[in-house]
Amino acid sequence: MAAPLPDITLATPVPPPLPSLINARRLRSQRLGRALRLWVPVGVLILMLAMCFLLPLVVTLPSATAGNILYNNEPPFSPGHWLGTNVQGVDIFSQLVYGGQVAFEIGVAVTLIGIAIGGTLGVIAGYGSGWVDAVISRVLDILIAFPALVLALVIAEGLGPSEFHVILALSAFGIPAVGRITRGTTLTIRGLPYITAAELSGTRRWRITVRHILPNIVPALVTFLLLGIGVVIILEGALDFLGYGIQSPEPSWGNMIANGQQVLTAQPEYVLIPSLALLITVASLNMLGDALRERWGTQ
Amino acid sequence: MALVQQIQLQSGGSGVRGASARRIAGSPALRVVGRRLLSAIPVLIGVTLLTFAVMSVLPNDTAQAVLGLNASPAAVAALNRTLGLDQPFWERYWHWLVNVLHGNLGTSIQGQSVNHELAIHVPTTLLLLLYALVVSVLLAIIVATVAARRPNGILDRLSLVVSMLGLSTAPYVFAFLLIIVFAVKLAWFPVLSGPVTGPVSFFKNLTLPACAIGFGLFAIYTRLLRADLVEQMQREDYIVTAKAKGVPPWRVLIKHALRNSMFTLITVVGLNLGGLVGAAAIIETIFQVQGIGNDLLTGISNRDAPLVEGITLVFALVTVLGNLLADLAYAVLDPRIRYGSSTS
Repeated sequence: MAAPLPDITLATPVPPPLPSLINARRLRSQRLGRALRLWVPVGVLILMLAMCFLLPLVVTLPSATAGNILYNNEPPFSPGHWLGTNVQGVDIFSQLVYGGQVAFEIGVAVTLIGIAIGGTLGVIAGYGSGWVDAVISRVLDILIAFPALVLALVIAEGLGPSEFHVILALSAFGIPAVGRITRGTTLTIRGLPYITAAELSGTRRWRITVRHILPNIVPALVTFLLLGIGVVIILEGALDFLGYGIQSPEPSWGNMIANGQQVLTAQPEYVLIPSLALLITVASLNMLGDALRERWGTQ
Repeated sequence: MALVQQIQLQSGGSGVRGASARRIAGSPALRVVGRRLLSAIPVLIGVTLLTFAVMSVLPNDTAQAVLGLNASPAAVAALNRTLGLDQPFWERYWHWLVNVLHGNLGTSIQGQSVNHELAIHVPTTLLLLLYALVVSVLLAIIVATVAARRPNGILDRLSLVVSMLGLSTAPYVFAFLLIIVFAVKLAWFPVLSGPVTGPVSFFKNLTLPACAIGFGLFAIYTRLLRADLVEQMQREDYIVTAKAKGVPPWRVLIKHALRNSMFTLITVVGLNLGGLVGAAAIIETIFQVQGIGNDLLTGISNRDAPLVEGITLVFALVTVLGNLLADLAYAVLDPRIRYGSSTS
């Protein structure tokens, strides 16, 4: 689970058919399909982001941490609480909105940290000399073989649960994964003729790294960013769920699911609503990642 | 060692033994295995050292936690001495390492031998993971082959949707779905898993947890296998040759493409093994399976360093073995790579 998908999973490069074999209608439907595969997940993500970050600025939502116990266990579509309230009477929609903020913030922060540190290590390992590569690769191997869950739990246990600590803990998953991917991509690029050409013409190594290598690993990193955010949101939920992440009453999708567990049979909607939000978000991130891969032909 | 001796005994005369030994020593498989095993040593040392460091960063009140808040400072110090917690970090690590090399993983805070604890709980986790792996790989092979038969056909699109769902569903959410449907509504399986004693209790207790772990794996493997199959069917020369010879399409797909794709699949299965144990921890907690994932969580909340270190070692071993498997499948067994590299 923790390790992101290897790149081979996703790309199916299809050689383009001969122009004479394409008929216009088919071409149009293919173009439409490509556009839909890109813009539908983009639209869904924009909607989710707007719901989580813009909506609370425009509309006053009921509190997401405290509720009136007199109005607890309201069913969905009840007045004032259109997704209902939980056992403590806290509005579920507000929890969903603020929990979503947490999920997106943590997802983006962890992947960015992963890309900043792991990406740097990966480029250095991939373009560095033999022993630098060997040392960095071994360090990455160790981090991959070390169950990141242990580190995550220990950080939460030792430092206390908070959003920042969850970010720190989950970075343990992100850094080695990005490191490995970047190293692989850099190794591939390093063998290409334009790098040799640049080396032969006397370009300095750091300049080659910045001008020729970095721009070419950006597509791989962007698709990873999208898939990574999805994976991190799921992992963050798992930490909350185990009681080591964001603690209730602070809302998060993970602890909404965990709290709903207690009334799973009587009111499955407490688990289903945040689960659905999680599924929709992660699925759109994955689909967007796929669409970009298809467009850029990233391997 | 014993195995090698047995092989040598079976191979008979000394001349034959020499020749076969040379052949084995020169084989690429053995070289990859040897190199991987050598590089596994620093990785294992690093992982155990990291675990040690991480566990000792935790506020160190193990003795206080065991003895209770009212324990006298003298009793706490005495227990710290018995547990070896008063020694400096490096000394403790060295002591542990030497013990591990002698096959002794130490004593947990609860006073039980970690070896014993692991001997009981490792098999359960391994059975669970194997169950999940076997089912998801078999299903993935069937679904991906059917899907790759007609790319962009109805079945292919259906398989893409299902695997996208599997990829995007959090395993714990899927676990709840399984509990609601199969344990509560249909009552086919128990909500909480009991101990595994025989084949019947194995299926009764581990089916739902295995499904919860397996759905995501199935999705990953199906996508991978389908992509690999479709790519082979469209661009590889041996496929064109087979088709030109008049081999029926299904046979081309299964005998010529799927056989090669299996190595890609094994590579990914191997690389994923390490992450699997993390997933197992969460699923084991939900279903209360008595495995090492569950132990890990209790171990960390009890500050049970020896137990956590033992479990991390098992996890790291599994990851290293998985990487070895991946390397073997990729570099040694995959005919595309093997023949590709020998000609170029």
